[in-house]
Formats: sequence, structure tokens, C-alpha cells
Amino acid sequence: MSTEQNGAPAEAAPKPVEAPKDAPKETPKEAATNQNDKASKGSKAGAETKSDKAEQKSSDAAGDKKLTGAELKAKAKAEKAARRAQQKTSKDVAKGEAAVSSSPGQLGPSAGEVKAKGKGKDGALPGATAAGRPTLLKAPPSAVVTEQKIQIPEFFSHLSMARRIPMTQADKDVHPSVLMLGQQMATFTIDESITRLRATLLAFRKVIESYITPPGNVLARHFTPHVLNIQIEYLTACRPMCFSMGNAIRWLKLQVSKIDMDASEEQAKKELCQAIDIFIAERITVADEYITEQGAKHIKNGDVVLAYGRNTLVEKAILYAHSTGTKFSVLVLDDPYERLGQQLAKTLTDEGIMVTYSGDFGGLRNHMRRATKVFFAAEAMFSNGAMYARAGTCDVAMLAHELGKKVIALCETINITERVATDSLTYNEIDPERSSAAAFRLLFDATPDQYISLLVTELGSVQARSAPDLLRKLEEFN
Amino acid sequence: MANVQDGAATRDLPLRGTNADAESFDIVATYHRLLQEDPDLTMPMAAIEALIEFLGHSQVKTVYETIDLVKTQSEKLQAAVRNPIALSHGTDLFSQYLIMSLKQPASSSGSNGAGSKSSPPLDNPHESFEVVRQHLLRNSRLFATRAKNARERIAANGRKHLHDDTTILTMGGSRVVGNMLCRAAAKHDYGWYTDPPRRFRVLYAVDPALQAESNGVVESLRAQGIQVATIPFTALAYAMGQVDQVIVGAEAVTANGGIISSMGTYSLAVLAKASRKPLYVAAEQHKFGKTFPVDNFDFSFDQEVINFYSANNKEDKAKKVPMPDPIDFTPPELIESFFADHKVLTPDEVAKEVIDMLM
Repeated sequence: MSTEQNGAPAEAAPKPVEAPKDAPKETPKEAATNQNDKASKGSKAGAETKSDKAEQKSSDAAGDKKLTGAELKAKAKAEKAARRAQQKTSKDVAKGEAAVSSSPGQLGPSAGEVKAKGKGKDGALPGATAAGRPTLLKAPPSAVVTEQKIQIPEFFSHLSMARRIPMTQADKDVHPSVLMLGQQMATFTIDESITRLRATLLAFRKVIESYITPPGNVLARHFTPHVLNIQIEYLTACRPMCFSMGNAIRWLKLQVSKIDMDASEEQAKKELCQAIDIFIAERITVADEYITEQGAKHIKNGDVVLAYGRNTLVEKAILYAHSTGTKFSVLVLDDPYERLGQQLAKTLTDEGIMVTYSGDFGGLRNHMRRATKVFFAAEAMFSNGAMYARAGTCDVAMLAHELGKKVIALCETINITERVATDSLTYNEIDPERSSAAAFRLLFDATPDQYISLLVTELGSVQARSAPDLLRKLEEFN
Repeated sequence: MANVQDGAATRDLPLRGTNADAESFDIVATYHRLLQEDPDLTMPMAAIEALIEFLGHSQVKTVYETIDLVKTQSEKLQAAVRNPIALSHGTDLFSQYLIMSLKQPASSSGSNGAGSKSSPPLDNPHESFEVVRQHLLRNSRLFATRAKNARERIAANGRKHLHDDTTILTMGGSRVVGNMLCRAAAKHDYGWYTDPPRRFRVLYAVDPALQAESNGVVESLRAQGIQVATIPFTALAYAMGQVDQVIVGAEAVTANGGIISSMGTYSLAVLAKASRKPLYVAAEQHKFGKTFPVDNFDFSFDQEVINFYSANNKEDKAKKVPMPDPIDFTPPELIESFFADHKVLTPDEVAKEVIDMLM
């Protein structure tokens, strides 16, 4: 049932590209209508044939009075079965759709439509009435999203994906600065975990500044559920939150709840903004500086540093090591799906650092032989010491380990999560640009701790599996 | 704490005098003198004692000033020696200890002024800080003497892991290991029960560079009635088949549970691992530190042990001066466990302890 359902919009997929305005209105609804008609017809037909047979039997037997009881029974049974079948199909359809779409805003209306039709005998009328809402909700780009959403195999349905939500669709209470940030995140203009975190905190700071407590409410009680959560929901819808954002938001909510009930609104807002500023300074700005310095210390004269893709921390560490007069060269290994390494190579050559560039993993073993140290920056660190980073990191780290090269991971402690990942599928994100029915690409992978020689954080350099100890240490500070 | 600092900054004018006092004190000379005076002193402990002596000399008035001065003196000390690892572990430990002990009294007196003492905090910040400082100096002495007893406690902890009729391989003239083996050969009174002496043999690999120390340890072991055989370093792999366990000392213990020790320890550890013999490290807790080398060339200094030259450019040889006491780094994978003065622990536990203690 659900596969048929999935198939229908996929066929319609090419259409929206050509005529994006008409397609979304028509196709999903049509599909649903056809679906439902088929289902109800099928079950009705089955019921009719059964009852027909029963009638024939009864007439053949010619004992009118004798068989009326049996006949009635059979008829009632058949009718019941038909009703059941009908109900079941409509339920299944609704269920299937609900399972595929995690957000009710996207596919909910069509599921509702189906239900409405299932109840009403006439298919056309309720469909027409229900059509009013979906057209409002379904703006043009959502058709593309719908198609992608549906195509992800159910096994991977727990993985989320960034999607562009038109500004018009966002909740009216979403703050303009958050709106813009959401767009930047959805388009991967702001990509790295730590830059996203910084941007989010700054946007929330603006939200706090422009917040006015409605009369009869207290900031500490009203702000989080009625303002902050809306912003967070919107941001999460644009792109799944990274772990650092989760950590920081938990912290921010705690700060809000800690605010003295008697404090004036001005005072409360000032305190919150100050707390955010300090948080950014301590956990991001100064942390980055320290990690850069410490990371750079591991680059020695004559080293060949291998960097995968481009990450600000790694770039900073390399530039810092260069600025201290260390003579070394860099081997930039790029992610063929997102060639940010070219940018890194350019920046480094501009500074006069010798750079070798490889566009993909071809000849990786040869490159790795030449390298002496491998630098990564973690998107997040799991509590079992696994490193969550750009897809491909694990492959590079494993090879480095096999060839006895040292793998150095740079990571701010805000990126450490209390969650655990033993594989790359538990937590991940689907590349919105590369997902089709046949295949999709994941953005990240998890590198087990044994492939990481050293984890540099602002608290100090530790083993990767000491990540939970750092978390505990951080809790002690608070 | 803020009160203490503010009060001092506004009221205390003759700051210059204290600085002059601090500058006249030569921490580097003190450190070397301490090491010379007491051959039993380890490098981290000598660093700590030098810092304490410095604190006794200086007339610091504020908490911040104290911490700042200790920091600059530590840096001065570290810059003065070629291999500052062990020393820095001592200074790190001391400054951490300082911060902790200065924090606690200040915060407790700040929160509830009516403490058990005469509660001077608000009226007289100088006095309260002086109390803290004196208390600190006394505590620091205690801290130093306690650290000196560590060797005996290591011997008591380690003897449980030595067994009769075994052969123990060691090297490098470590006093901790020497002491531990000597104590194990005698009976030990735990109080509730007396541990009988262990009967074991010792295989001593002698490094020509550490001949004098090694001979000293070998002689003291033989004096205890322990059977000792000495072998040259080249015979290590050959002799490994006869060995049951390997015990070495360490100059410093790194943040990942590896050790920094005299050159050759790493080779020994690799050979022990290859023959599947457990390697134990006897080291005091004060040797633990934040240093985290990823490999043997990841130190802040160049040992200049490796020196390429050919007949054509012999003058190159003169350019490099190999470090007099070369060291190497043994990664935690090769270490079975540590005999420390407070307990016996695995490399992972060491890593955890370093994070808890120093980060």
C-alpha cells in the first residue's frame, strides 16, 4: 500500500520543475484520490461479488424461507468485511503518509483528505473542500521537498535533512534575524557546527533584545515556551540542529529559567544578553584561539600535514603554525562532493605554504604515506569518544591509523555530546542535494576513538575516549 | 575574592617593593641547588619546593598577584632547562593546588562572613589573605614532605604484584624501582598482617649512559640478598624469554597514560609487548601531568639525538648537540599498569585522573 503511495508522487516529480505552480496543487491530491478510489472500489467489488454469489445460491436452492437466514447472514458478513476493508485501506494510507512525513505541515493535509474521503461516500466533494487548505500551505518548492522526503527508504527515515522553507511559510512569530539564519543554514551558507552555534546565539540575542513581555506574564516563564521554542522549531525545520546548538540551547533555557522573577524586564534582558556574550567569548572565541595554538604546537619542522576538506579550526591551526616560523607542507585532500578544500588550498598558498591538492580519495594510500600528521576538526564528539565529522573522515582516519600516522582532532568542548554512537547511521544528516530513490548521500560519519591519537580541546589535550571526562569536568565548573 | 583583590589594589601602594623582591630571587638557581642538595628529590618536587621557597621570599598581598607570580616564575624555570616536561608537571600541580586552596577559604568567608575564624574578610583583606598564605605555606610544606614519602607507598602498593620464583626485568637506574624491589625482598608490616618477603630474581639491563646509577641500584639489590644478573642493552630481546614481568620507572607520566622516561624505555616496552610480558611503571602521582605527545618527536624541544652527516660535511656534526639525558615516550598501549603512591592504576585511569586533577 505504502509503496504505491510513495510511487505516485515520484512519477509526478519531473512535472513541478516545468510547471511548479500547477503541479503541487494537483499531483498529490490526484494521487491520493486515485489511490482511495481504487481501494474503495476494490473492496466494494469484492463485497458485491460475494453477496451476489450468496443470492444466487439462495435462489438456486429455491427454499426461500429456509435460506433467508443464511442469506442475510452472508450479506451482513460481506458488508461488514467491505466496510472493514475500506476503513483499513484509508487508515493505511493515512498511516503510511504520516510515517513518511515527519512534519505534519508537509503531507498532513493530504492524509486528512484521504480520511475525509474514506468517510464520505462521494469522493469528489470532500476533496474539493479539503483542497482549500493545502493550496495555501503548499507553496511551490515544497513539491520538490515532498518528493525527496518520500524517496528515503523507511530504514533511514530517522535521518533528517535540511530543507528550504519559504519565509512565507514560517511561523509569524519567527524573528527576522532567525528567519534569515534559517535560510542560511538550509542553503549551507553557514555550515560548520561552531559557526552555526555562534550565529544562532547572536540571533537569539537579537530575539531577546526585541522581546517585550506581554502584560500579565513574567519573562522567565513566558520567553522560553512562547518565543524561544518557536525560533528553535523553525531553525530545526530548516536544518537539523547540530549537537553544539543543542547544548547551547539547553544552557540558554537554563539561564532564562534562572532569572529572578522580581527582576525588571530591562534588567533580565541585559543579564541574558551578557550571559550570551560571555558564553560566546568563553566557549567559542577564546576556545578557538587556545585550540589553534595547541593544535599548531603539534606541527613540527618537516611535517607533511594532511587536511581533509576545509575547516576553520584546522585552517587556523595551520596558519598559526606557519606564522610561528615552522617549515612544513600541507596535503589538502578534498571531499569530491563539496570541494571546500580548494578554498583551503588557496588560502594556504597565499600565505606561502607548500600545498599539494588532491580532489578525491584516488591514490589516498600514496598521499597518506607522504603525510606525517592528519588534522581533523570534529563536528561533534560522542561520549564514547567517536568523532562526528564530514563523511569520509573515518576512511582517512582508518588509513592513517593503519599506516601509523598520527590523527589529531580539534574540537571545542561545546561540541561534546552525552550521546553515544557506535556507527554512522544513528545520528546523521542526508545531503539534500544528493538524494534520489536509488541512493542518497550522508553528510557525516563517526570515527571510532581508536583511530584518533589526540583530541585538542580548550580544556587541554586528551585522548578521544576521555570526552565524557571532559563533560563531567564541565559540569563541575557550572 | 573580588573584595580581597579590590581592597588590596586600592590600599596597597608599595607594590614595587614586592616585585623587586620577586626579581631578586633566582628560581632557576634555587631549583638546581635543591636538586644537588638532595639526590632523592625528583624534578617535579624540586620545582614545587623552589616555588614554595619563592613564595616564602616574596611579599605578595593579593591572590591574583600570587597566582600571577607563580606563573611567571614557572615559565622562567621551564625556559631555563632543556627538557622541561617533568618540571612543568610539578609547577602545574602546584599552581592548581594554589588556585584550589586560595579559592576555598576566600569563597567560604565571602558567602558566610561569620565563619569559625575571627572573620576579618571585609574589614581587612590583607590580614585574611595573609592567613591564607601562611596556611598555604604550611600546607605546601606538608605537601612536599608527603610527596617525599611516596616512594615507600609505591613499594607497599607494588609488592602485591610481585610473586615468588619470578624473574623481573628492569633498567635505567630508577630509584623508585630500586626501592620497590628492595622493599619487596624484605617482609612488610601492613599493621593487620605481615607480608612475607618475596623471592624473585632481577635481570638488569645496563645502559652504558646510566652506568653509575645502574651499578648503584644493582649493588643495593644484591645487598638485600636478591639475585641479580646484568645484561647489556643489546641482549634485551634475547633475554626476554626468561622474563616474567618488566618494571620501569618514569621521569613523567603523560595525560594519556604514557610515560616519558630515559632513552631505551620505549625499546624495552616494545620488546616486552612483542613477547607478551606485562610492563609495569612505578611512578609517583606528582609526576602525572598535562603533557600529551602524539609521538616521540612531538616535544617542545629537539633532543638532537638523530644527526645525519657524511665525510663531506663533517662540520654539520658539530652543529647539533645531543641532549645529555635523552628521553623517549612510551605510549599507553604498551603499559599494563602503574604503581603509584596512592593506588595501582591502568593508563586509562591515569588519563582520567589527570583530567580531574589538572584540567
